Amino acid sequence: MAAMFSQNPLMNGPNYSINDAPRVNAPEGAREHRFDPYTDNGGSTLAIAGAKFAILAGDTRLTSGYSINSRHHPKLFKIGGTTADQKDATIVLSVVGFAADGEALKERLDTICKMYRYRHGKPMSVKACAQRLSTILYQKRFFPYYAHAILGGLDEEGQGAVYSYDPVGSYEREQCRAGGAAASLIMPFLDNQVNFKNQYIPNSGEGHALQERERRPLARDEVEVLVKDAFDGAVERHIEVGDGLQMMIITQDGIEEILLPLKKD
Amino acid sequence: MEFGNSGSLREDGIHLDMDRLKKGEVNLGTSIMAVTFKDGVILGADSRTTTGAYIANRVTDKLTQVHDTIWCCRSGSAADTQAVADIVKYQLELFAMTNGKPPTTQTAGAIFQELCYANKDRLTAGLIIAGWDERHGGQVYSIPLGGSLHKQPYSIGGSGSTYIYGFCDANWREGMEEADAVGFVKDALKEAIKWDGSSGGVIRMVVLTAKGADRHLYLPDTDYRVRHE
Amino acid sequence: MPGFDFSNYNRNAALHARGVPLPKATSTGTTIVGCIYEGGVVIAADTRATSGPIVADKNCEKLHYIASNIWCAGAGTAADTEFTTALISSQLELHALSTGRKARVVTCMTMLKQHLFRYQGHIGAYLVVAGVDPTGTHLFTVHAHGSTDKLPYVTMGSGSLAAMSVFETQWKASLTRDEAVKLCADAIEAGIWNDLGSGSNVDVAVITADKTTLMRNYIKPNERTQKLRSYAFPKGTTAVLNEKIIRKADLGNFVSVHELTEENDDKMEVDT
Repeated sequence: MAAMFSQNPLMNGPNYSINDAPRVNAPEGAREHRFDPYTDNGGSTLAIAGAKFAILAGDTRLTSGYSINSRHHPKLFKIGGTTADQKDATIVLSVVGFAADGEALKERLDTICKMYRYRHGKPMSVKACAQRLSTILYQKRFFPYYAHAILGGLDEEGQGAVYSYDPVGSYEREQCRAGGAAASLIMPFLDNQVNFKNQYIPNSGEGHALQERERRPLARDEVEVLVKDAFDGAVERHIEVGDGLQMMIITQDGIEEILLPLKKD
Repeated sequence: MEFGNSGSLREDGIHLDMDRLKKGEVNLGTSIMAVTFKDGVILGADSRTTTGAYIANRVTDKLTQVHDTIWCCRSGSAADTQAVADIVKYQLELFAMTNGKPPTTQTAGAIFQELCYANKDRLTAGLIIAGWDERHGGQVYSIPLGGSLHKQPYSIGGSGSTYIYGFCDANWREGMEEADAVGFVKDALKEAIKWDGSSGGVIRMVVLTAKGADRHLYLPDTDYRVRHE
Repeated sequence: MPGFDFSNYNRNAALHARGVPLPKATSTGTTIVGCIYEGGVVIAADTRATSGPIVADKNCEKLHYIASNIWCAGAGTAADTEFTTALISSQLELHALSTGRKARVVTCMTMLKQHLFRYQGHIGAYLVVAGVDPTGTHLFTVHAHGSTDKLPYVTMGSGSLAAMSVFETQWKASLTRDEAVKLCADAIEAGIWNDLGSGSNVDVAVITADKTTLMRNYIKPNERTQKLRSYAFPKGTTAVLNEKIIRKADLGNFVSVHELTEENDDKMEVDT
């Protein structure tokens, strides 16, 4: 008997890859047996572009259903370095969704960036890398990478750049973006605290004439605080987020990686 | 009440969802049996109850008393068989009080059948009723899923029973001595537990004779050799 | 008017068949346990309530009162555990009053199983029933479909596998009160850490012949970390499009006013 009692992790939410759920409108008792290749592995990511830096972050929990598969599974990857430890990389990719597709996507992009570097004798710009990533995703338009990707780096002027993607390659350069399970919890916080949305200057006018609070580039230490608080908040209210926080800060001097603990319940 | 995502609306407007019917039932994917012997009857069962792949209880008592020397072996849905047994237990107690004498095994079997047949579309209950009474001695009745009643010299049931039809057919003898009958039940259940994944744990037995009910317990630690308790 | 109201059933079924997602009940994707020791019984629960992947309540109570000597831990649909235990508690109190005897745990268990069996699993209450009565110390599990088990140690809910692994490795036949409390708390903690449906704190109840001790938030291993900065906004940050002022004296015209005397224990998180 496949059914278990209703709180059982295996029956609720994401399930085994083999789907034996009854087909809607199927004749009585008939079951469609098919291979379901996707699993949602939970977790959340976020990226913010600063004046002279870009910061990407993701939690390190990997889940399926109500189970934790790993407490130390990174979602952030350095892309296009020349060595195994990627110490000379200048671009970071974050992926959240189906971990296996994320891993495959990272490998594809990294290989392509390395090939580019070998052929042209210079590292890929973030702009070029961003466009190439879109192409990779769209190539699998009818069997997509089940992942929400965010790419971060520094543009030609040395300004922080964040590009975010949907699973089939639609992309956009943005100031900040949250992805994954707790995206809907984190994104409104970012809108408010990074782009100062819904914040007005007190006593600057009446009703609709009120002046919006002016945007200013945030300093690196300010952004790091926002990232940590955003994830602490997400951990409180989303069960698939937790364990560890991995941050990568891309500056002119290279990529700095920070690991912080998160709640583990 | 939670609504599943499966299901369909039939032409007659009745909402059908086979999957939600009895979703998450606690099952006795079982090995049970009862055999008559010279002085009475023996009931035997494994002790595993499962919800899907999880063993919800590894020391379950599937041998349920419904009167002094009338017992039953339960297989199928735990909830359904417990509910049926509880009702029959009450009916038999009432019977004994109003008639001033204990019910026969046949009476018990008939009451069980009444419930199982009338509610056949709502129950998942495979029962074996075994009892000893003054008039008939040891008797075994089985009630499979549809609610029919069969008097048998011995009966096996549950998912594990499929593995021991050959064994039982080859080894059962009419009018065995108690020790031989206990040995037969134990060996049969050992085999059922060995081959059936939904059966396991300890072996429980009840011996019903003129002397009353006698409980046996055999543990897997000693390969079911030693009688405990 | 007793029983449930089914007046929206046909409408909901038709909507559902046309693909409208029907409301999801808050489920206490839970870890609950119970364990008998010499002289009494201990039950324990975590305090997380979820609605899908979202934490609906970080510190809810899953230990329910049935009678002074009988308590219940509930998993499954939150509303069903709440109402089922309350209903049986009330019936059991009346039963005790009419018989002039203290309520028994088996009576409670039988009433629960008969109630749940009648509703064929549609009432999603999975319960651990524990208590001490004149016949002794008892511990049962009751599943939503109406089946019951009697065991010396039990676990239920989505964290039941994690919790049971603790019992199956640590449990022994003779336990002291403190050992039983520790064992139950450890089992709940296993659920808190390893099951996503469970989290936050550990609630424990110890029932003995002469009294029941409820230890709300016995362990709090998941206190929220301090925010790194204040997110308080200066007054006037939010645009006010129109306003109407109701003086405190006139408040009674619009809502019923209750003056709070005691300091509320369960304060909301507010930045200062």
